[in-house]
Amino acid sequence: MRFVLYPLLFGVIIILQSTVLENVAIAGIKPDLVMLIVILNSFFLGTRAGAFLGFTGGIVEDLFLGSYIGLNALAKMTAGYLAGAAGGRLYRENIPIATIVIFFTSLAGLMVNYLLLLYLDITIAPLHALLRVALPTAAYTALLAPFVFWRIFRYNQNRSREL
Amino acid sequence: MRWATAKRLFLLAVLVAVTLAAMRCTVPERIGLTSSESKFRDMLAPVQNGLTWLGRQGRYIISLPVSMVGAAARCQELEHEVERLESEKIQFNEYLIENQRLSALLDYKKVMAGNYNSLIASVIGRDPGNWFGTITLNRGSSEGIRENMSVLTPEGLVGRVIAVSASTCEVLLITDPRSGVGSLVQDTRTPGIVEGVAGAAGIARMIHLPNNALVETGQAVVTSGQGSLFPKGIPVGRINNVQNEPSGLFLSAEISPFANLNNLEEVIIVTFVQPETPTPSAGG
Repeated sequence: MRFVLYPLLFGVIIILQSTVLENVAIAGIKPDLVMLIVILNSFFLGTRAGAFLGFTGGIVEDLFLGSYIGLNALAKMTAGYLAGAAGGRLYRENIPIATIVIFFTSLAGLMVNYLLLLYLDITIAPLHALLRVALPTAAYTALLAPFVFWRIFRYNQNRSREL
Repeated sequence: MRWATAKRLFLLAVLVAVTLAAMRCTVPERIGLTSSESKFRDMLAPVQNGLTWLGRQGRYIISLPVSMVGAAARCQELEHEVERLESEKIQFNEYLIENQRLSALLDYKKVMAGNYNSLIASVIGRDPGNWFGTITLNRGSSEGIRENMSVLTPEGLVGRVIAVSASTCEVLLITDPRSGVGSLVQDTRTPGIVEGVAGAAGIARMIHLPNNALVETGQAVVTSGQGSLFPKGIPVGRINNVQNEPSGLFLSAEISPFANLNNLEEVIIVTFVQPETPTPSAGG
């Protein structure tokens, strides 16, 4: 069921992100909702599931865009893996900790995204990439953590009880 | 006659007498008050005033819960009315703004009708990420849209069509790092290439400007039309600052696009450009 649910959820989020979320963009920067869902779930599920989830979310996004298939998949897989690793070492039932984890892991994911863009010969000045895209996106995404944290926490808790 | 009965009769008589005297004293044609009446009334006034105030407060307190029931309902009605009017106001403002926007587009379309054929399109989607800058429009191949057509707003250049489906097309914004536009500085005619920085950054860079070029902050940049997919002379943006490129051989300039690329709603797709007629030479 989860294998159908997550891609569907990511699909809906990406459609929202390309339409409605434009209205909440600050100085052109939108939060990365797929990244947020991937990281928060990975934080509770661990490295393996995190990497898988990140890859799924990223590949759905790449397929939606229809170009550079794998660009977002790899970036979000890294973020998911790192969030899973952080979840294994940190206290998980705490919103500030989760917010900080989201900030740093999404920043790492975005920097992987940047390196992959360089690999694809799409040149962006490093300072612009860091200051105008990666840092603001990571910060905006992390700030949304309190709105979804408990919902995702409870969902994962219920699921682990069922198992 | 018993003593008690006599006493009652006496009091009754006194009462009747006082009443009769009072009747006499209060005949309407008498103007003015006696000094004792006046003093009495003046003394009584504050007491009356206080008692009246107390009475009104009492009535207010007692009738408050009852009136509150009605007031709550009235308040609710008014709140609904205010909400409805607010919503209508927002809707009217929206129509007004849309009207102004479309009028501007129509005016611009009329102005450029001599040189270009064009089509107005609405933005229906954007790149979900922040690295790239692309938008999706509601016009496609069924309406004659093809790849590499230029997209503009009355303010300036937006980008070019990079992918087309039957009913939509995708436009690469000039701020996308994959975009390159052959341009020149309007005042000095210095050529260069305007390339995007990052989709969300909202700025572009003009590169390969000769080291000795007279390029200054505030100058306007337009499309050069030479070897480019874009028609000549379309405003691109304004120079924010100028700096040396790392190689030291060229200058580069940061450019703010004239078109508000972060807030696009309607745009113009240039579907056909009239070829420029060669001007006859001076000697004939």
